Parts: sequence; C-alpha cells; structure tokens
Amino acid sequence: MSGRSSTHIMLSVWKALLLREATFRLFGTRAAWAWLLLEPLSHFAFLTFLFAIVRQRVVGGIDVAIWLILGLIGFFTFRRTANQMGGAIDSNLALFTYRQVLPFDAIVVRGVLEGLIMLVAFILVTLVMALIGYDVVPDRPLMVLGGFFGLWLLGGSLGLAVAVGGVIVEETRQIFSMLMMPLYFISGVIFPLSAVPPQYREILMLNPVVHGVEAMRAGFSTYYHASDGLDLSYLYLCALCLLALGLTLYTRFAKAIETT
Amino acid sequence: MIVAEHLTKKYPTRAGPPHWVLRDVNFTIPPRLSVGILGKNGAGKSTLLRIIAGTDHPTSGMVRRDVRVSWPVGFGGGLQGSLTGRQNAKFVCRIQGRESEADEIMQRMQDFAEIGTAFDEPVKTYSSGMKARLQFAMSLAFEFDVYISDEVTAVGDANFRKKALAHFQSLVGKAGLIMVSHNEQTLKDYCKAGLLLHEGQAYWYDEIGDAIDAYKAKSAT
Repeated sequence: MSGRSSTHIMLSVWKALLLREATFRLFGTRAAWAWLLLEPLSHFAFLTFLFAIVRQRVVGGIDVAIWLILGLIGFFTFRRTANQMGGAIDSNLALFTYRQVLPFDAIVVRGVLEGLIMLVAFILVTLVMALIGYDVVPDRPLMVLGGFFGLWLLGGSLGLAVAVGGVIVEETRQIFSMLMMPLYFISGVIFPLSAVPPQYREILMLNPVVHGVEAMRAGFSTYYHASDGLDLSYLYLCALCLLALGLTLYTRFAKAIETT
Repeated sequence: MIVAEHLTKKYPTRAGPPHWVLRDVNFTIPPRLSVGILGKNGAGKSTLLRIIAGTDHPTSGMVRRDVRVSWPVGFGGGLQGSLTGRQNAKFVCRIQGRESEADEIMQRMQDFAEIGTAFDEPVKTYSSGMKARLQFAMSLAFEFDVYISDEVTAVGDANFRKKALAHFQSLVGKAGLIMVSHNEQTLKDYCKAGLLLHEGQAYWYDEIGDAIDAYKAKSAT
C-alpha cells in the first residue's frame, strides 16, 4: 500500500490533471489561448455591429457594448463549463487506466479550469474596455460576481449531470447540444427580454440562466432596468438542485461509470 | 500478496443470458513471484488483470492487495500528443504522488528510454518505437511491488527487448510480475508460476511449464 490517504491522492490527481489540461488548453495547439478568447469576442464584434446598424446604443439604461459583454461572458461561462465537463469522461478515458484517476476527478478539474479561464477572460476584457475609455467600475461588484459564479455553478452542475447521464444513456450529450442553441437566444444574452410581452416573459424567466445574466448587468449599474422577477437565489437554487441530481446519479452509477 | 476471493465477473449480452468470464475464482499470488496468465482469447485474462490492477470492478467477490501494483507496463493511452515526453512523465509522477522526486524519476526514464533530446519534444512527433520505449520506461521508473503487463513486453527493437528482459530479471526477488501473453517463449523467459483461465475457472501451476502443457491439453480438447 502506498500509505497515501484518499484525500491526498485526490488532491495530487487534481493538481496533475489541472496542470496537464491547462497546458493543453492554453498551449496545445498554436496560440490555443488566443482561440479561447476569440469565440466570445467574435460574437461580441458581430453583435455590436448589428446593434450599430439598428442604431441602438443603450439597452435597459446601460451602454450596449457593456450589456453585450456581460451577457456573453456570463452565458459562455455557463455553456463552456457545461460542455467541457459533459465531455470530460470521453476525452479522458485512457487516463482511467491509472487506478488513481477517477472520472469524477476529470469532470471536476475541467469545470474548475473552465471557470478560471473565463474569469481571466472576463478580467482581460474589462481591462481592454477600460483602456478604450468605458467606465468599467461596477456599482455592485459582488452582484456581478454573484451572477458570474452562479452561472459557472449552474454550468458545472449541468455538466456533471450530462457527463454521468452520457454513461447511462448514450444520447445525452447530443440532446444537450441541441438544447444549447435555443437557450442562447431565450436567455436574454443578445436579445433583451424587456422587449418580450409580460405574459411570455414570465415563462422565459423560469430559465435560471436569465437570472445570472441579468444579475451581472444589474450589478454593473444600478440604473439598469433588469427584467421583472430577477432573483439571483433562484439561479443558485436551480444550480444546487442540479448538483444534487448529478452527484446522486454519480453515486448510484459509480460502478458503471468507473468501468467505462 | 494478492488474494482473489470468490471473484466473479459477468457481462450482459444481447442474447439474454449473461456471459460469465470468471466464476468464483480463488487464488493467492505470493509476494515477489512472477506469474503468467494463460487462456484462450476471451477467457478473461485482460479482465482479470484489470481487476487486479484496480481499474475494473468484479461483479462479486474481491481482490485484496497489500502491495503497490503498477498500471499495465507499456500502457500508452495516457500520453497526450501535444505535450512533451517530459510533461507527460511529470503528470504520471504527480498522480503517483512522487512529485518531490520527479526529477530523479524522470532522469531514470530518460536513461532507460534512450530517446535523447526527443524527451523534450511533443509526443506526437515520436515514432511508434520511441513511443513504446517511453511508455515502457515510464512504468519501470517507479518501484512497484508488482508489475502488470498485458502483451506488451515485446516492444521496440531487439536491443530494447533485451534490455527490458534484463531489467525484469534484475527485479526477480525484489518485485513480482503478472503478465498475460500468448507467446510461450515470453512466458518462459519472464514467469515462474502460471495461472490458467479456462471456462470461467482458474487453475494454478507452480511451474509455468506445467501451465503451458495444461493449456495446450485444454485447448486441444
């Protein structure tokens, strides 16, 4: 016996996986780190262009560029975390030949890495905006972070559930990717929900992603007219329920997951 | 010592009745003994090896290990192509909890693999022989009580094979080896005892020669 405690083994595996995954994500291919930023930035550039055409400079009381950046960063944090974690088992299959590495480790590490990458991206973008001359100091920084972290947690919980679900029902990931596309449009990321009639908006507000995205904007400026019914705790409640579901599924099917 | 108790493994099949690979298998592998596992294709050799290595779970029964068991020697799936040999090696040091001695261990790997400066090049640029050498060296750089090998001892060129064999022979008395192979000569070169898997049952032989004879007799019928 190696004499290491389980916690000790888990932590050294997490460290090893995190460094390996980070090296690959940032330097695995030519300028891989630039591509990480390029995806949200290309959406941003295209959308600012569209808003410029319709001559909309302000959404809900804040500058459209800020409005878009916050929405895109928030939504991409959610989607990328869920995506990365959902695929963690498949892409690390070979590593499970090392007895110490469990699928759970691979899933968790990917979520943490994605959160860190998006946080760095967020900071970078903010700095650039400040250099260009935008006022980037949020009125309620904790609320912005609360929305950001909540979206990450929601993405992570969903990612765990998808990763585990993929072992039980093969098609889980396909269904998940199919749902992500419409979610982008109905989460108020690029299309303000205030433009939706109230009776339909109530339905859209059931989507927890909206609450995270709107909280980030409302936290940025107290003047922002967020969608009615904005409730950050609803986002966290959804995230924690999903997390409980994911963990329960993992525990229940641990044997099947760990022999894939 | 590795003790298998009432080890059973079955896989579900499309036809309905499950396929029993191992049925109530019991055996004890004493410390520092080299054992060859024999059996037909699909007899459950690799499954058994995975269960011993702790990466697969038996349907029922258990394996008790009070020794450090390696991952399959020469296992290569874990190499990340765009990382260098050194980065991959460091990863393995970390998950083995040997980060503090990583430099020493990686030096041993580099010496054993004899791939020179390629150690600091991305693994995807390696030839298959170089990759095999690195994988082999990665396993042998750690001191395990029992090494596990699934049909991969015969990698690399003749020189490297000789070196690998010499290394294993130098481990006799210090560490055990559990290997699966279809090659009679390999089994005789590396192993002392034999474990024959046949129709879900395991038969123990103290001499590998006897196990090979029994295997031939069983597959002839």
